[in-house]
Amino acid sequence: MNESYELLIADYLAGNLDEDGKTKVEQLIAEGKIDLIDFKAMEQLHEELTTVSTPAPSEAMSVNFYSMLESEKEAQASYKWVEKVNEWIASLTVSKLAYACVLLIVGGFIGSFVSQDDSQLEALSSQVQNMQEMLVVSMLEGASTTDRLKAVNISTTLPTADDKAIRALLFTLQNDESVNVRVQAIEALKRWGDHEDVREGLVGAIGVQESDIVIISLADAMIELELNSSKTEFEKLMNERELNIGVKEKIENTIAVL
Amino acid sequence: MNSGNEKLVDSTTDKTIMMKVKEGDLDKLGLLYERYNRSLYSFFYRKTSHSQVSEDLVQSVFERMLKYRTSYSGTGAFATWMFSIARNAHIDHYRKNKRYDQKEVLDENKLGELPPEYEEMDEKEIRKKILEEALQQLDNDKKEVVILSRYEGLKYAEIAEIQGVSENTVKVRFFRAMQELKTLVNTLSEVYRNE
Repeated sequence: MNESYELLIADYLAGNLDEDGKTKVEQLIAEGKIDLIDFKAMEQLHEELTTVSTPAPSEAMSVNFYSMLESEKEAQASYKWVEKVNEWIASLTVSKLAYACVLLIVGGFIGSFVSQDDSQLEALSSQVQNMQEMLVVSMLEGASTTDRLKAVNISTTLPTADDKAIRALLFTLQNDESVNVRVQAIEALKRWGDHEDVREGLVGAIGVQESDIVIISLADAMIELELNSSKTEFEKLMNERELNIGVKEKIENTIAVL
Repeated sequence: MNSGNEKLVDSTTDKTIMMKVKEGDLDKLGLLYERYNRSLYSFFYRKTSHSQVSEDLVQSVFERMLKYRTSYSGTGAFATWMFSIARNAHIDHYRKNKRYDQKEVLDENKLGELPPEYEEMDEKEIRKKILEEALQQLDNDKKEVVILSRYEGLKYAEIAEIQGVSENTVKVRFFRAMQELKTLVNTLSEVYRNE
């Protein structure tokens, strides 16, 4: 058979042909260039193939998968420690070493004069948090996507919600050019879902997003945080913009759930 | 099979999930496993007709997803990436077992063998058995095209990417696979009728 007919029949069987294509097939059959009996037998066989089922896998398959995943997680955890130490060693410069020495000496000096009570420990932990927050805010302003992703990840280690970090993450969600960074920012903000600024910020971000992935992530977050106020924003988005049909369906489902 | 819209949303979600795995959130791989383990198992079972080998190969696919997660770019459909890994896992498995070079051509002797449970099978079951056997007789590339297109719902362009050939080659393979299946089904039906 002519190869172009083979391509045509393959498309026909897969349901890829439009009306013109189907008419062409009918025409070729009518002209005897495609054998009708042969064609019908192939069409029937194609349909019948769906009756060939396969057995279900055993329970052991899932058990093996999850134990493999656990081992990988453990390996990753230990690798992260080694990586952090290596990164720290690699980042050491003379000025940093000098700074660390000064800190050590000053710390030791202060420590020798000051008694160790709980209030000092609290102050120290608060200082550490402040430093982490500053780090998050400054890294979020960085040019590198990797750094901004790191900053979002660091923000998830902050023990308590901080206004500056929240503002920086919300700004990132609204303005960052990277879809991955914005998706990660949603994940990070979800941790502080009971904070009013976060709830308002997440709802407010719906209208400014262009990426399908970010809109879908926001829809998931709205359901998780039970943000009923987002319904209006989603409805507005659907009315004002030509959305991808899959995204539209996801939003409709989200509105229905809320 | 999913509808087009569901597939689109799933595909977007799959990519997001895999990106999270790439960034170190390994637990998310469990979501992909729950979504695709059955599909991958069927893919391998249809290729090998062997439960244990199919289960091992599914495990191998997810191990490779973890191993190569940093190279996941998120471009193209997630299923294309996953089935490319599956295809390589299958090829490697048979290379290791030194059976991959074995040509899977029509084996007349094998075609004459009837299953022991043949006497108790009704017409519908016999037809299904014939189709299964006929599918097994196809060569690897054609069988793969039929499995991915007919059972996994992949487009010819996606299969072309997985097999590293042009879309037209995939279409020709599919057409010729169907032609061969038709002949095989007729031959097998004859064998069954004569018993």
